[in-house]
Amino acid sequence: MRLIENIKMALSSLFAHKLRSFLTMLGIVIGVGAVIIVVAIGQGGEAALKSKIVGSGNTIEVFYSPSEEELRANPNIIYQPAFTEEDIRILESIPEIKSVVASSSTYGSVSYQGRETDSTIFGINESFLEIYDMKIASGKSFSAGDFISGNRVCLISQSLKDELFENEDPIGKVVRIGTQPVQIVGVLEKPSGIFALGTKDIYVPFQTWKMITGKSDITQITLQAASPDVIQIAGEKAAYQLNAFHNTEDSYQVLNYESLAEVIGQITRIMTVTIGSIAGVSLFVGGIGVMNIMLVSVTERTREIGIRMALGATRMQILTQFLIEAVILTLIGGIVGIFFGWGVAEIFALILGWPSLISWQVILIGILFSMAIGIIFGLLPANKASKLDPIESLRYE
Amino acid sequence: MISLRGITKTYEVGKEKVEVLKNIDLSVKAGEFVAIMGPSGSGKSTLMNIIGCLDRPTKGKYFLDGVDVSGLKDVELARVRNSSIGFVFQQFHLLPRLTALKNVELPMIYSGIGKKERRERAEEALRKMGLADRMDYLPNALSGGQRQRVAIARAIVNKPKLILADEPTGALDTKTSRSIMELFARLNEEGTTIVVVTHEPEVAKYAERIIMLRDGEIVPGEDYKRGLGQ
Ligand SMILES: Nc1ncnc2c1ncn2[C@@H]1O[C@H](COP(=O)(O)OP(=O)(O)OP(=O)(O)O)[C@@H](O)[C@H]1O
Ligand SMILES: [Mg+2]
Repeated sequence: MRLIENIKMALSSLFAHKLRSFLTMLGIVIGVGAVIIVVAIGQGGEAALKSKIVGSGNTIEVFYSPSEEELRANPNIIYQPAFTEEDIRILESIPEIKSVVASSSTYGSVSYQGRETDSTIFGINESFLEIYDMKIASGKSFSAGDFISGNRVCLISQSLKDELFENEDPIGKVVRIGTQPVQIVGVLEKPSGIFALGTKDIYVPFQTWKMITGKSDITQITLQAASPDVIQIAGEKAAYQLNAFHNTEDSYQVLNYESLAEVIGQITRIMTVTIGSIAGVSLFVGGIGVMNIMLVSVTERTREIGIRMALGATRMQILTQFLIEAVILTLIGGIVGIFFGWGVAEIFALILGWPSLISWQVILIGILFSMAIGIIFGLLPANKASKLDPIESLRYE
Repeated sequence: MISLRGITKTYEVGKEKVEVLKNIDLSVKAGEFVAIMGPSGSGKSTLMNIIGCLDRPTKGKYFLDGVDVSGLKDVELARVRNSSIGFVFQQFHLLPRLTALKNVELPMIYSGIGKKERRERAEEALRKMGLADRMDYLPNALSGGQRQRVAIARAIVNKPKLILADEPTGALDTKTSRSIMELFARLNEEGTTIVVVTHEPEVAKYAERIIMLRDGEIVPGEDYKRGLGQ
């Protein structure tokens, strides 16, 4: 007997009990949908987190956290600048390090024609914008000369522009940081994603920052390794050299974002598996629903089974018929569940600004899995049907 | 064609053993038309089920067309039923959700015949039963006589050598019974071996030979036919 005959037969008997088939499928739809949603959101979240953390890649954060002894010997140490320009030169001499991103920040007022607001003022060096993947929405970026000669130019964030300029074009306008005038050359793109807070920021070249604020300390250093393979070595060398230069034991530390991202990835994966397993329970319950309905169906159709056997159906053919019916039930439920889960995951992705992560693999696994559910939970009823005695079945009322 | 040797069937009811068929010896030649009669509970249906390979004897040998079917496996028995035997039942036993045509196609589905040929042969069988205009009807929309004719079409569609009918007219009125028996007679003329179980002498008249069962045993003697007044 051909598969196509079996499929037709199964469809026609499922159609004969539309409501019952629909409700049974609903269990599978919800189960498969729930698993798909959890997996998609888990993977999307992981990818989003990682991409935010890793940024443009290969970056290492450098920290200065003075030890107990240093603090006891010189309690004022925490008010001193964390890094000096000398430190940057040391770090730049390490061959595994491609570039050193240095920045300083303070908080201060920025004003334009009587309008005034508080903003974070960043002094940055040339690699900063590239490493943090900041793009210019309008105007232009700094030139190399701006960094060398400390020109009075600045870039502002979208939020700051909205605050000070509303609908006016800010390019070329002069704002004041405190009392110091700087000219706006560009507006930065609004950052996207889950960590996008839309803060009011203003960026000036480091030399300019020193002039404006009268400070020379560097509060933050980020390193970019020459390649992903040398991140570890670059980080270790950086920490070692800084500690050696400052004659400290372990005050200069590095944080490799790749490995941090890996740890976070592991955590989200564990969460996905855990929540996914809980969602899987609903799939299991759906499977039991299928088994239940198939058992009812076998009992109801005892006479049909007897007739088919009298006409020459083998036990195997009866078993196949009921198994295929169960598989079609779960397969249709599974396919609907996949699209349902896909839709919900897509909506989540849209709201949260994550990448949508329904791949063809997920769909394929979903389909195979729902078929497997049909086989597993259909086997018992199908086996029961095939074991019926033809004479008893023919006599069944 | 059919050769039963010492066929015994016992059922266990609780702890008791009930012998429903006792040491039955019976031969039916190819092309014969045989009626089995006897009081209710005498074992007629049990005997038919064994002849039809739906059931196995507790003891004894059954040769169908020279093959010892008492030794066959379930799968092989299903094949025999499918290709060599056509059943007709008192309650018609049509599948209610399938049209007349689809019901007749069923046995051919199990013998793996292709869609086109199946349809053609089913149509031909229904036409032969005078149901050319009822092919797409559901059983519910057919009269008892029409349903039984669909069942006969289904029984003959795989061209079996043997047709077994257990009280085929039990649910039909006299006139319809007669037309159904005419059909069996015609099939028998075309060479099909027919065994019919019946209570009605009217029906048994169509057979060439009548076998009487009583309490699971064949009553000896051969002249029942004459006894029925022919
Ligand atoms: N599965 C079974 N278990 C126990 N006893 C059974 C079983 N099947 C049939 N019998 C008994 O076997 C005997 C013969 O039954 P069978 O159905 O063959 O009679 P029958 O001659 O066809 O009767 P009727 O004319 O009423 O159809 C009956 O007494 C019945 O009770
Ligand atoms: Mg009977």
